[in-house]
Formats: sequence, structure tokens, C-alpha cells
Amino acid sequence: MRLTTMLLLCVIMAAGKLTAQSRTLQGTVTDESGAPVTGASVSIKENKRGTTTAADGSFTLSAPAGSKTLVVSYVGKESQEITIGNTASFNVSLKAGGSKNLDEVVVTALGITKERRTLGYATQTVKGDAITDKGDGNLLNALQGKLAGADIVGSGGAAGASTSIILRGISSFTGNQSPIFVVDGIPVSDDVDESTIGLYTNQPANRTADLNVNDIESVNVLQGPAAAALYGSRASHGAIMITTKKGSGQKGVVNITYSSSYMMQKVYGFPELQNKYGQGANGVFSAISTNSFGPAFGSTASLANGLIVAPGNTQYVNGVLYTAGQTIPYKAYPDNIMSYFKTGTVFENNLMINSGDARNNYNIAIGNSRQNGILPNSQFNKTNIAFSASTYFTDKLSVKAGATYFSTVQDGITQGTNGTYSSYANAVRVPRSVDFEYYKNHYTTPTGYNNWFIPNIYNAAIQDSSSGGDNPYFAAYKNPIKSLLTRVLANISMGYDLRKWLNVSYRLGVDAYTEHRKRTIALGSAQVVRSAFTGTPGPTTGGIMEDVFTRNEISGDLIITAKKANVFVQGLNVNVLAGHSINQRKFQQINQTGYGLAVPNYYNITNASNLSLSNEYNSLRRVWGVYGQLSLAYNNYLFLEFTGRQDHSSTLPASKNAYFYPSVSAAFVLSDALKINSDLLSFAKLRASYAKVGEDAPPYALNNIYLSASDGNNVAAYAFPFGSTAGFGAASRLGNKELRPEFTNTLDFGVNLGLFKNKINIDATYYSSKSTDQIVSVAVPGSTGYQSKYANVGELTNKGFEITVTATPVRTKNFSWNISGNFSRNRNKVTYIAPGVTSFAYAGTSFSGLVPTVAVGEPFGIIRGAKWVTNAAGQRLVDSTTGQYANFLLDQTVINPNRDWIAGLTNTFTFKHFSFSFLVDYKKGGQFESFTVGVLRANGSLKVTEDRDQPHILPGVIDVGGGKYRPNNIQISGQSYYATALGSTTGTSASNEFAVFDATTFRVREFSVSYDLPGSLVNTKIFKNIKFTIYGRNLFFYAPNSLIDPELSTQGAATTTTGGLVRGLELISAPSTRNVGASIRVGF
Amino acid sequence: MKIKKIAGLLVLVLFTSCTKSFLEVNNDPNSVTDVPPKTLLPNTLVSMAIANSNELGRAAGLLMQYNANSNSASVAGAYDTWIISGFESQWDNEIYGGTLNNLNIIINKTQAQSPAYAGIAKLQFAYTVSMATDLFGDVPYSQAAAGFDNAGLIKYPQPVFDAQMDIYLGNTTKGIKSLFNLVREGLADISKPSVQRPTVDDLVYGGDMAKWTRFGNSLLLKFALQVSNKAPDTTKNVINDVLAGKPYIDDINGALDFKVPFTAANPNSYYLQDLGGSIPNTQMLSSRFLALERSLNDSLRLSKFYTKPAATFVGAENGSPFTPPPLVTRSTYGSYVLGPTLSGEAPVRLVTAFRNNFILAEAALRFGTTGNANTYFQNGIKASMKSAGLSDADVTAYFAANPAIVNLSGTPANQLMQVLMQKYVASVGNAIESYNDYRRTGIPSLPQPQTTAGDDPNNFPQRYAYPVTEGSSNPNQPNPRPKTSVKVWWAL
Repeated sequence: MRLTTMLLLCVIMAAGKLTAQSRTLQGTVTDESGAPVTGASVSIKENKRGTTTAADGSFTLSAPAGSKTLVVSYVGKESQEITIGNTASFNVSLKAGGSKNLDEVVVTALGITKERRTLGYATQTVKGDAITDKGDGNLLNALQGKLAGADIVGSGGAAGASTSIILRGISSFTGNQSPIFVVDGIPVSDDVDESTIGLYTNQPANRTADLNVNDIESVNVLQGPAAAALYGSRASHGAIMITTKKGSGQKGVVNITYSSSYMMQKVYGFPELQNKYGQGANGVFSAISTNSFGPAFGSTASLANGLIVAPGNTQYVNGVLYTAGQTIPYKAYPDNIMSYFKTGTVFENNLMINSGDARNNYNIAIGNSRQNGILPNSQFNKTNIAFSASTYFTDKLSVKAGATYFSTVQDGITQGTNGTYSSYANAVRVPRSVDFEYYKNHYTTPTGYNNWFIPNIYNAAIQDSSSGGDNPYFAAYKNPIKSLLTRVLANISMGYDLRKWLNVSYRLGVDAYTEHRKRTIALGSAQVVRSAFTGTPGPTTGGIMEDVFTRNEISGDLIITAKKANVFVQGLNVNVLAGHSINQRKFQQINQTGYGLAVPNYYNITNASNLSLSNEYNSLRRVWGVYGQLSLAYNNYLFLEFTGRQDHSSTLPASKNAYFYPSVSAAFVLSDALKINSDLLSFAKLRASYAKVGEDAPPYALNNIYLSASDGNNVAAYAFPFGSTAGFGAASRLGNKELRPEFTNTLDFGVNLGLFKNKINIDATYYSSKSTDQIVSVAVPGSTGYQSKYANVGELTNKGFEITVTATPVRTKNFSWNISGNFSRNRNKVTYIAPGVTSFAYAGTSFSGLVPTVAVGEPFGIIRGAKWVTNAAGQRLVDSTTGQYANFLLDQTVINPNRDWIAGLTNTFTFKHFSFSFLVDYKKGGQFESFTVGVLRANGSLKVTEDRDQPHILPGVIDVGGGKYRPNNIQISGQSYYATALGSTTGTSASNEFAVFDATTFRVREFSVSYDLPGSLVNTKIFKNIKFTIYGRNLFFYAPNSLIDPELSTQGAATTTTGGLVRGLELISAPSTRNVGASIRVGF
Repeated sequence: MKIKKIAGLLVLVLFTSCTKSFLEVNNDPNSVTDVPPKTLLPNTLVSMAIANSNELGRAAGLLMQYNANSNSASVAGAYDTWIISGFESQWDNEIYGGTLNNLNIIINKTQAQSPAYAGIAKLQFAYTVSMATDLFGDVPYSQAAAGFDNAGLIKYPQPVFDAQMDIYLGNTTKGIKSLFNLVREGLADISKPSVQRPTVDDLVYGGDMAKWTRFGNSLLLKFALQVSNKAPDTTKNVINDVLAGKPYIDDINGALDFKVPFTAANPNSYYLQDLGGSIPNTQMLSSRFLALERSLNDSLRLSKFYTKPAATFVGAENGSPFTPPPLVTRSTYGSYVLGPTLSGEAPVRLVTAFRNNFILAEAALRFGTTGNANTYFQNGIKASMKSAGLSDADVTAYFAANPAIVNLSGTPANQLMQVLMQKYVASVGNAIESYNDYRRTGIPSLPQPQTTAGDDPNNFPQRYAYPVTEGSSNPNQPNPRPKTSVKVWWAL
């Protein structure tokens, strides 16, 4: 109630006036050509009050008594200090030059703004301009290529699919590797909520996808944990601080911006397919085969090759029934798989209204984005409405508040590798001679059943039987997954100046959402067949699966800041901060599954006759902490900062739940201290920092538990109770009462240089971090009776460097060229696990014989599996009787998903009102296993499998005894070569080393051309300016060592509950897209 | 004033939040930390039945050519072509997790006060371990699922793989208790006074300890025959000892059989695999088993074992690369395996009178143990037929019409073949037993499937492949693992 009252008061005050003992300064900032400079920082040196200039370069600023110096600065310009005196109006002209490093104000932890020059640790800023109109509405995708030290990987082109971000390599064995996301000072969720049957679901979104990039003013990134003391343990993987748009910067002026954009997406990067051979096996046509190892197109039809229907038989081919003796028409449908993808579209509209200066302002943002995905029947629609305001009740009491409502709709189809459940995987498996157009138009039989070339048990009139999954169109249109998320983000903060040098503030924030996800399965689908719960065999039952996720996070921070200039000695400024924080995270997932629908096409859970699988999971965790920061600045060239934080977490053993961690950082502006002021070296700063961060355990990891028992596997699951008899069993995961917090220690050295009058700015960082006592759910051998156990194990190091360079090679009155590049390289290594333990598998994450594993001496994130046995020379051994590879060894490293290095380069050219920019990036190294390629090769669809007329010989050697080998000379058939030897399985376990590819990719990631028409140019006051932009995304990529776009990690940002992020698996993801769009932005 | 109020409120919020109870929220609301033995026992019974009847049994059913695959892309297709791997879930969840670990918990909870529970848990433990070693060869036993030490840590974090010989016969130097002795211990516990006794939680025998005693003695018979190729003296002595007046499961009407019950609401694995689960219709009657049954004039019993949706039984060839017969005509598991309404309400039959009779018939033939082989043989056939649902009149009629089939005749080798052939027929559903007998005796002869693959496409799989997950966390598992064509210790 109180909160609402405050919020209302804010609204009133924002529109009202203030009663300060101050006067108002106003003016205009222009560049050398006289053009207005938008977004220049104007502040008062004495009390740090400030604002930014509006689109026309104007500013208004309230100057309290004691204001003496006005500081005006802008990126790429020389900043100016102007004595205020009695002047009230200022016209400031900024000269080119200046330094980004020198003057830029950046947001650091807790939303505290600091000048970049004072920082002793690495930080990066991306302005809102750089992420809007770039062809992707997901904030993380829009940051691709723009951040040093960030590895951002999407999970494919499905609408709303999640994206993961890792800063400076993985620094924890467990759980979420994601940095903390903070919006206007309030931690928010970037979680990915997986449905109960995660592998066969739609690709869920990561929750920062809810954010509206149009409402983002800037994104500040702290790659390392140096600032984490103030955020607590959740910032141990870095922090991404998002500042939303605020007032216009000018009192009494209302800025209205309306923008609209339209974008199209086309599939790009799907593997190339052959069109010489059609459906069948061993050169013989079969109408029910999922393989394309049939006869070559153009073959003469015969009984032997199956193209003449055998006596006593019938064949159902592309919707036509052929009887004995008839010839089956047989030809390639080159577009059959690609025709499954539609042209995706995104239509977006945004309205922003804001007004006010730095002290009193409000902002309204309304956005709507509607995306129709590349997969049939998929969409991702976002609506958000935001309001924020800040005001000074008195000269001393300030209040800021904001609330945003989000509604996100994500509808899609089942994806993943499982053929029975996955719509998309079945589309990928379509043989080359199947007429997909027919199946698109006839996905149901006249009786309402699923119609597909793979025999369907409900379609006895046409087909015989078996489970082959659904027609992908039937699955898409009749068995969709729909999700509706409602989210509210609200914050309020109050600050009070007890003394001129002493401020107390409190900030309270809430991030709460509920997502309702519903998967329905129509009667007639192969997906829910004769359910275990119907009790009787018989026709398809249909089903409904519902998940409700509720997540709620509350954070509160009390912050007391004191600052004093000229302490002890002249020029020594001291800033002290003390804080207290509480954080509570609550999560609930309830799911309900109903089978046996009585009435067709009625998807209400009350229509289900069997409601056997319902489940509930709750978790609650709390942390409170106290923290402090001491900042010292000497003569504006030497800066020292100490922080310390003590956290208390509910997830650790009660007697040992407190943990302390400190940090220290220093920055030394060499050029100022030594008064170097050459044209060559215009600015030089050295910095160093050390930080330690602690992180607590997952909730409920301390005790051994028992659960109501369930037996069997995914194919045949049995669940207690048995009638009225309960059955319990020990949970497969063991708790640990001795868990300690895990820690990460980081050393960070950096240098900032400004060369040639700051035309070139270089920021380079070397870091080294060590993470210890990792809390992991370690796999234990199944023969112990358990499968995993929580433990503090291991040590992990990350070492690397990051370089960002910005340069302005050309700058004239009408033309400028800006370059912004970044390079980063991280080396990650597991250095220690536990005494006598050299490796362990993540519990519960193994998939098809691929086991995410942590091993000493290896980088984190490797995946182990089976590899063919080789001799000492590394040649694979071939079985002398079969001509196939002989045997395989388990527990071999098959995939290392870590990149060697990543670089991004943005070039921006402006000519008068035109602007042109493009971003290319290069990601070197990293491996992934492509199930898409594996499946397409094993079923004979991939282009390379065209070469099958002649027998093949596997590269390898045959053991002739006595340590001697002869080259393999045993011929095997083309089908055997592609389907068995290189195919989708290794021997009898399922990892496939031949489907592992190097992910090195060069990519033209972004491209945009815009024309900004000022109203003044056409002599109108109806609008201030209109900006037209045409943009493209992912226009081209070159991946020399991969048959598919490597930027597909199916798990995306999804973390398993115990195993953290699994990267490097492309489990039949929807392919990447190439996007082209246009936008118009009108400012009033 | 207002400001002070707000500040006061903030201070209040802060300091109430710092109280100890603020952090006392780590009690898991999703589970419990302890449960009574009576809730564990039903789970162990169901779990051991599922271990026998789920994937492990399905693979054996295809290897033993009761069934043939009708979907070559499914696991049934893999098993049918001798790809015998991928049993991670069976090993982790069904054998060691679901069954052995919970049994050990029961034993630890009840050994002192309520040995009735501990005793039957030991019998179940012995049965389940024998199943594991029979299929996988050397397996963790003496250190498996052994619970925690005093510090609360897993007592044996990486259990050793005990040799199959040591598991069956024991090894004093290595401190390995033989399965025979484990059963004897269990039998002794059963007869002790016990504070708590199982009642309805004993889904199989309803707490009847006399029946559990019969179960225990029947296990001794089974184990004795299992080691007969390597330890014939043990075979003979153990069997004669039981036959000297100890009760075992011998009621040919099946009243004493160890059958784990299932219902349509909690259906058995056969139903879930073939009909109710997510990948149904992957296997059907093998034309080879069909041919055998026809040669035995046994179509009445076969009609209980398998359905006949068309006018005649329709089987498929093992390992066939061709399109299977249409679903509507296929013969698949019938009322004996799936229950009267084919909804999975049939029990999983682990130890039965018919199998005991065949065991005793074989032992009498090979080792001259007590009793008449032909009597045992005929009792075995009768018990199986009755178990399948044939009436007394049907049984009598069959015996009258087929004297050459129901009477042992010819050479000892031929008589042995007759016994094992009937045992094979009777063991529909529990193919693991037939797989054990086949590897022990080479009976019945199994022609190679039309296509084979796996570790060794030329040699019949003699064991199941070790699971990947165990190997990746337990260095005691042999690596590279033995190929599936390598024989286990007791094999012929």
C-alpha cells in the first residue's frame, strides 16, 4: 500500500514543480560545425548534478547554491569546464578530440555512476543506439560481437529461442553461468524455464528476451567480479547493468518518439542435401523408410528396385495407393525439407514519451513486437508498458520509481531429436522423394488421424502400423505448445541528504512473473498413443500437459554514502559507502498432465479422463549481506577503491552460512600525473584489481531425501502409489551437510591509452581468475545405489585478455568514420577436482552417449563419449571381417566447446544525414556435435552421401598382430559407409565423433543504413526528426570446417538443475536465419 | 517528520530481516528425509520386477527369439540384431538404485528389531544381484549399494566389480559372501521374532513368512543349477539339501508363485513397452517361436501367450530388414503377459512352480538328484499351462494327445533337450531365465537373425554391455569393456 502511495506521489511530483533553493542553467551544446550534439553530458563539478542534452543540443540544469563549474563532455570531443558565475545561459561548442576513457560516465554496481577514468577494473558500455534496429529484438543477440570477453550463443532460429551469455569463460562448475542482470538497480531473472519433458519441447526463451531494447538507454558490462562486492555472490560471473530511458533532459519539454519496424527472416545455414537418390534402403525403394538410400532417380523401374509394386503388396506413396504391378512415380523433391520453413516476420511498434531534467522527470514506454517464426505455427509476441519517474520532494529527499508490465507470448512446435515427439526432427528426416507439399495439404486423414508416410497405427486403411511420429505439419498445427508469460518489474528508491556530504537511500525492487505453458496433443496424433493411464489399448488418446512457473524475486538495499573532498591533504577526496541488502528468490513449478481426451479439439484439463502425472516443486532462498566501499581519489589521477561484503545465505549449513569477500582496485592516470601531453600519447591509464567473490549452494542441497518412487524409463514409466499402497525410495542424489561456499579470486590488470589526440583509444585487460570449492552435483557410480552427490570439489582457472579499440580515422565536417573493435581470448582449465579424482561426469546430463564431464587438465565444458580405438600412431583400427571400425573406448573427450578467441569489428560511416554501419565478427575454434548433420548423413540425405555408387573403404588400419598394422582395404557399401561407419552412432554407444565439427566462423553479423531527416531541413515543426533505417543481420557466414551453421547450441541458455550449462550440442535445432528489415523512427 | 517515519520503517524492515529465522527456509518442501520400511518394501518389489521385465527382459526376449522387432529403428530393432547396450537406466535406477539400495536401507533399519523385513530384503537382494551378474558378468556386489560410513559418506564410492564366481560361490579372502549364504542368512532372519512384520506393504505374499521361506529355498535351487557347469558338487548338494524336506515353491496351481502384481492403473512393463508407453508397437511374435510352438501342437497355450488378431498367428523373422506384417494382423503378447484385458494387469512372474519343476527335472537328469525327472517334467508343463490359464480339462487333453511330447524319452541328451525346450516355452515373459539357460546349455538352438550387428555380428551375445554412466565414474569397470560375445563365468 505504502509503495503504491509513493508511486502515485512520484507521478504527481514528476509533473509538478520543485521548491529548491537553486537556479536554473540552460543552454545548447554544438559541435564545431554548429550542429547540435545530442546526449552530451552536462554536469556541475561541485555536486555532480548533471543532465544530458536533448536532440536539439539543449539542456536545462538546476544549480544549487555553491555551484561553480559546469563540465560539458561528449564521446570523441574534448570536454570543457566553464565557470558558472552569474551566467544563466550557455552556448558551448565542443571540439573534436577528447577521450572516451577520460570523460565517459559509466554505471557501476548498484547503479552508481562513475567517471570511467576512476575505475580500476574493466567495464564496457553499449549505448541503446547500438542495439536497436539491428535485426534482433533479444537483447543478448543484439550484443553479439560488441563486447570483449563475452561468448554469446543462440539456440537456433525458432521464434523466442533462448540465448546464453558467458563472460570471461565459465567460472563455476555449477548451475547458472550467466552474469547477473540488473535493470535500473534491481536484479532481474534471465532464467530459462524448461518444461517437464525438456528435450521435446519448444525452445523456451531466456527471460531477458522480455526486455524491450527500444527502452534501453545503455548497457554497462562488468566482465569480472571486481564490482561484485556490491552485488553479492550473484555477480561472480560478471554483471550486465541495463539502464532504461529516462527524462528528456530538458525541463518542460516533452519528447515523443514513435518507431515502427518490419523485418523478414529466412532460413540460412542449413546443410546442403543431395537430390540423386530417393527413399529406401540398399538401393531398393521403400515407401515407409526414413532413409534416402533408395534407387537413383531415373532408374528403370523394376521389381528388384521396388519401383514396381511386388505381387500381393500395395504401396502408399505421396498420397496415392499403388497396387501390385503398378509403377511408382519416383522423383526428387529438392525443396521438401526447406519448404517446411516459412519466411519469418517481425513487426514492431514503440512509443516513448518522456520529459523533465535530471532531477524531475518521467518516462513512458509502450512497445509491441509480433514475430511469426520460421517454423510453422510459431510466434513470439511481446508487449510491454513501462512508466518511471523521479523527483525531489524537497531539496534533500529524492524519490525514483518505475514499473514495467510485460506480456510475452511464445507459441511454437516441438523440437529436439526425439522422432516421436519432435515435429521439427521429423521434418528433417523426410527422404528426398517425399512430396512434402502433399503432406502439408493433407496432414490429417479423412477420419481426423495423422497422415504420414511413416506408418501410423490409426490409419489402417492406408498404412499398416508402427510408431513413426507425426506428420510434421500435423504436429505443428494440431499439437502446439503455447506459453503466456506475465511479468512485472517494479522498483522504488528514496534518497535523503542528511548532510551535504552524507546521503542515505533505500531501494526496493520486485521482479515477478508467472508463465503458463500448455502443450496439447490432438486425438489422432502418434504422440500420446495408448497411454499408460487409459488402462485399455485402443486408439490415440490425446493429451494436455500444463506447466505453471512462478518466479518472484525481491531485493532491498540500504545504502549510506559519504563523501568529502580534501581530506588530510589537498586533493585527496574520499568516498565511503556502507550498505545492507536482502534478497529473496521464490520459485514454483506446478505441472499437470492429462490423457484420454473425451471430446476432440477441446483442450481443457477437465476433458482428460486420466490426470495421473501432476507434480509440484517449490524453492525459496534468501540472502542478506552487509557491505562497504572506500574510494580514494588523489588529484584526479590516482584512484584506490576497497570493498568488502559479508553474505549470509539460507542455502548453506546454518552454523556456517556467513562468508566474507573483499576486493581492491587501483587506477593511475599516468598522462595526468606525469603531465604527459603529447599529440601521440594523449591519455594513459594503468589499472589493477583483485577481487574475491563467494557463492552459495543451490537450495535444499544439504540433506539426503526420499521421494515417492517411480520406476522404469522414459519409454515405460511406473509411478507409485500402487492402488492405495505408497512406495518410497531414496533419491538418486545425495545431499551434503558440510557444503561451504565456493569462491572465485580474480586478478585484473589493464591499460587505457589515448593516441593521436585520442583519435585512437585502446583498452586492454589481462585477467587471471581461480575458482575453488565448487559446489557440484558430482556423478557417483550407479552401483553405489546413488547417481550423484553434492560436493565442494575442484579448482578452475580462467586466464585471458581483452582488447577494445575505438578509432576515428577520418572526421571532417560532413563525413566521419568510426571503428570499434574488440578481441578476447580466454583459456579455461580445470586444475584440480578432489584427492584421487581426475574426472567426474555431470549427473543427469548425459545424452545419447555424450557425457558432459569435468576433467583435470581439460577446459571446462568438455563432453566425453565413445571414440574408435586407434593404434599408437593414431590410426583407427578396422575389423578385418566386417570392414567397420573395430571397437571403441568410452570416456574419451569428444567435444571441447570453448572458443580459441573471438573478435568483433564495427565500422560506422556518417555522411551528412546518412549513416552506414556494419559489424563483422570472427569466432575461432570451439567444437560442437551436430545431430542434424549426423541424422542427415546417416539417412542418406546429405550432399556428401551422393557419392555412393562405388564401394568405400574406411580410412584406418587392420591389426595383423605383433604390433603391426596394414592399411584397411575392405570395401563396404556406400550406405554402410555413411549410415553405419560415419553414421549417427559409434559402435553400440551413441556418441559420434564424425558429427563433431570445428565451430570457427566468420560472420557479417549486422549491417545498417540510415537517413536522419531533421525537421528543420524541410522547414517543419511537426516533427523534430525522422530516421529511416534499413538493416540486415547474419547476411553471410563462412564456417570452413562445418557442414552447418555452428552457432546453434540447442540448450541455449537452459541450465540443467544440476549440471549447469551444456554447450556444444546441436540436437536438431531450428536453423539460423538471415534477417532483413526496415524501420522508421519519428521524434516529435 | 514523514521522513523520519519512513526511515524508521526501513530500520524495522532491516532488523527484522536480520533475525535468524529469516534464513531458516532451507527445509525442502518437495521431499522427506526419512520414511518407514513399510513404504520402501513395495518399491523394492516393484522395482525388481521392473528390472526383470523392462529393457533387460525385452532384450532377452528378442535375443531368445520369443519376439522379433517390428520397428527396426527402435531399441527392439537394436536388440533383435544383437546390439545389446544402453542399459544405463536399468543399471542405475532399476537394479542398483531402485532395488538394491532401498533393500540395503531396509536391512539397516530393521536388522536389529524387525528381522522379518531384513530377511525378505536379503532374499530380494540375492535375486536381484543374480540377475545383474547373469546378464553383465562381473558386477559390483560386495561393495554395492552399501550405504554410508559413520561420517555420512558413501562407504564404497567406487564399488569393485566382483568376479561372477565369487558372487555365486563366495570368496573368504576377499570377504565376499556367496549368494547361497546371503539367502541362508535371509531365511534365518525370517524365522526370528520381529517387532514389525510386513502386511499389505508386501505386495507379493501379504506378509506370509512361510511363503517367503519357500521363495528363499527356491532361490537356492535356481542358483544351484546356474553354477552347474562350474561347481556341479554345489549344484547337487544344495538341491538335495532343499529336497530333504525343505519347503519350496511347488504348487502346480501356482498359488505359491513369486509374482509381483500389477494393475491396469499401475500396468506392467510389457504393456508400457508395447502399448502404453511413448514408443509402442516395436515387437511382435517371432516366427521361430511360432514354428516351435506349432511343432509342439501347443497352439492353445500359445493363444494365451500371444494374440491372434487375424485368423492365424502372424509372426515375423528375427532381424528382418523388411517391412513387418500389418499391425492389425500381428501376434503380440497376449493375456498371460498383459492380463485378461491386455492392459498390463498381469503379474511379473519371477520364481514359479513350473520353473522349479524344470530345474529339478534337469538336476535329476544331470546329477541324479532326488526325485523322478519325468514327474518333475510333467508337473512343469502342467504348472505352466495352468499358469497360462488353461483348464484342467485342456491340460489333460493335451497330455493325452501328445504322449511323445510330455514324456521324456531317448538319450539323456534328448531328454535334457525336452526339459529345456519346455522350460523355454514356459518362460514367455521372463526371457532372462531362458537367456541364462541358453548360455548354460545351448538349448534351444537359435538360428542367427537375418541381420546382425553390434560388437560381434558373427557371435551370439553372451552378455550385456556395461552401462556408460557407471564406467565414466567408476574406474573399476573394465575399459574397454568386454565385447558382448565374451562368455560369462558359468556359461557353457
